[in-house]
Amino acid sequence: MIRSGRAGAMQAERLIGRLLTGVTYVSVALLLVGVGLLIAAGISPVSGGPGMDPARLVSDLLGLKPAGFLWLGLLAVIAAPVTRVSVALVAYIRDEDWMMVGVSTAILLVIATAIGSAVVSTA
Amino acid sequence: MIVGLWMIAGGAAAGVFGSLLGLGGGILIVPLLTLGFGLPLREAVGVSLVSVMMTSSAAAGVFLERHVANLRLGMTLELFTATGALVGGSIAFLLDEQLLSLLFAALLTYVAITMFRAGSREEDMSVEPADLVAETTSGRRSRQMVLDQLGGDGYEVRNLRLGVVGALGAGVVSALLGIGGGIIKVPLMHLAMGVPLRVATATSNLMIGITAAASAVIYVIHGGIDPFVAGPTGIGVFVGATAGSRLGHRVDLRYLRILFVIVLGYTASQMLLRAMG
Repeated sequence: MIRSGRAGAMQAERLIGRLLTGVTYVSVALLLVGVGLLIAAGISPVSGGPGMDPARLVSDLLGLKPAGFLWLGLLAVIAAPVTRVSVALVAYIRDEDWMMVGVSTAILLVIATAIGSAVVSTA
Repeated sequence: MIVGLWMIAGGAAAGVFGSLLGLGGGILIVPLLTLGFGLPLREAVGVSLVSVMMTSSAAAGVFLERHVANLRLGMTLELFTATGALVGGSIAFLLDEQLLSLLFAALLTYVAITMFRAGSREEDMSVEPADLVAETTSGRRSRQMVLDQLGGDGYEVRNLRLGVVGALGAGVVSALLGIGGGIIKVPLMHLAMGVPLRVATATSNLMIGITAAASAVIYVIHGGIDPFVAGPTGIGVFVGATAGSRLGHRVDLRYLRILFVIVLGYTASQMLLRAMG
């Protein structure tokens, strides 16, 4: 828990908790729609789904294709904790809690490095 | 269609069992998908990662709202679990599937033995943590200053160096085998770092999200996550884990634990056979 004596910290923690829960439920809803469409279309889950293609995401969503909703839901699942750290970073900056600002920034850098290294290695 | 429903049901079963036994679902999802649905192990690991993220984020949100999880400690350690996951996620695509199967078999065996011993001795971790490890290094003022900022109400954190090393290891294992890693993090925080069990469990849960995110992005970019499998499995695990957390206090865990040890033992042997080709 964020230690007492830090202005607004407990409130920030509650906000981060609510945000995490909210994003999770949004992702579950998107996945439910995707699974519903998958079942309605009679597609077998073990038939091999498409990989993530940002260029196709919007058209898949507009075309009510299961892959669009499933990928958006999965991206929301992955984005939830990253959003949590980003919000915490803002709260720590406001509290001038520089150690945690450093920790939060470093975590986001690790995620960015993971994305960068994976993109480079697949290129 | 039938396969999809079976996948949801299988995920739900993994979620219920995992939640009841405090393991998370990861350790069951990978065998379910590989042995039950014939998926390659690496693909199963990717699906497992996003499934455990869903359940951990939902639970962690509640823990944070109730101020049970230690956010400062969790974030400090998850910097290292995420770094470990970055390494693990990167090497996962270089390792042979048979080697991964062997590692998974070893993990299952370890968890089965731990659970068997816990059941037979009625040993739990609710006792006050013993001084298993040497006191924090005196004279290292900077580390002590960090430790002072990581404690919570009524407890102080110690052994940061061990915590960092353990967190790195937990991250690597999580990324390679698709588990949340509570089996490593909870004892690490509780026994070695002096964090109360309830806080350690909640904080470990919180840490799963960013740890798995670091490796999940690598799996997504490498094409290691199949959305058609991840959707039904993730929904099933989420529903199962939610139900399991509500059933928890109404179920006699002794028989469940014995059943689980048998299931884990059998699964370990199947994974071993897979490892041997």
